[in-house]
Amino acid sequence: MRRASLVIVAIVAGLAAGVRPAAAQQVTDTATLNATFGGLARLTFSSSSVSFPDADPDTVPNIPASQGPLTITAKARTSPNGAVTLTVQASDDLRSGVNTIPASRITWTTTGSGFVNGTLSAASPQLVATWMDSGVRTGTQTFFFRNLWSYVTGIYTLTMTFTLSAA
Amino acid sequence: MNKAVWTGIAALGVVVSMASPAQAQATASGSLSVTATVAAKAKLTLSAASITFPDADPDVTPSITAAGVDVDVKARSSAAGSVTLTVLASGDLASGGNSIPIGNLTWTSSGSGFQNGTSNKTTAQTVGTWTGSGNPNGTQTYALANSWSYVTGTYTVTLNYTLTAP
Repeated sequence: MRRASLVIVAIVAGLAAGVRPAAAQQVTDTATLNATFGGLARLTFSSSSVSFPDADPDTVPNIPASQGPLTITAKARTSPNGAVTLTVQASDDLRSGVNTIPASRITWTTTGSGFVNGTLSAASPQLVATWMDSGVRTGTQTFFFRNLWSYVTGIYTLTMTFTLSAA
Repeated sequence: MNKAVWTGIAALGVVVSMASPAQAQATASGSLSVTATVAAKAKLTLSAASITFPDADPDVTPSITAAGVDVDVKARSSAAGSVTLTVLASGDLASGGNSIPIGNLTWTSSGSGFQNGTSNKTTAQTVGTWTGSGNPNGTQTYALANSWSYVTGTYTVTLNYTLTAP
């Protein structure tokens, strides 16, 4: 019984060590390395705020943001032909106490492949950019505030939330 | 046998790497704060820089009417802010040492918020009042009382308008 156990151990050890017959011969094995890349998305901005200064509606009917173009970098890993989308939605209308200005008075123009111009909305996400496949994309978004005489004076604020999705 | 084991592992690896991304929906989000400053502002536009009254027979034309002046008001104010437009004469109508009392110059007006009035050289007279921001406009038509008592001459006066938006 003890002898039989030793033989089995020797065979298993030999297989594990890759021991070849004494008469050597060339043997080729193939080892496949597997690396798993899951979906991943990352979004960065060149600024954390957008501000519009006061201006004469007659001379500046659309006020550009003080910060100038906002640079957006979107990094995404997705499946082959997977859609990558970047959207933005306002938290609310522009608000100053009880006075409001519709979020839609903020529009934007863009540069960069895949980026599109648009109008801000508090009701639904608006498309900022769309691409296919994984990659790193950079573009700019320049915001404008429609300037009207009808606005009530005040400091108006809202928050824009951007969402990058990689399917 | 050794090769068969490796092959099995490789096949399994392919299945895993193809299935994994399809299951994952990756998202990232970021927020930006937005601030818009809307300050009080007022702008007044008159369609004419001057008004002229021609000479006329006082019996036939006891009140000489000038062409209407379009008044365009643009104002930004607080929600309940009172926007007011006033006019103040620099003095009486004057021609050398002669004068015609400024009270002889009156006006009628049209347009929401505008009102009729009489010119005054000491107290600004209200031309129009409104509440809150907006762009009201109207027409102001001046009339000069015509009298046989006037000394001949060309009389002038300056009317200064003030638009206030709190």
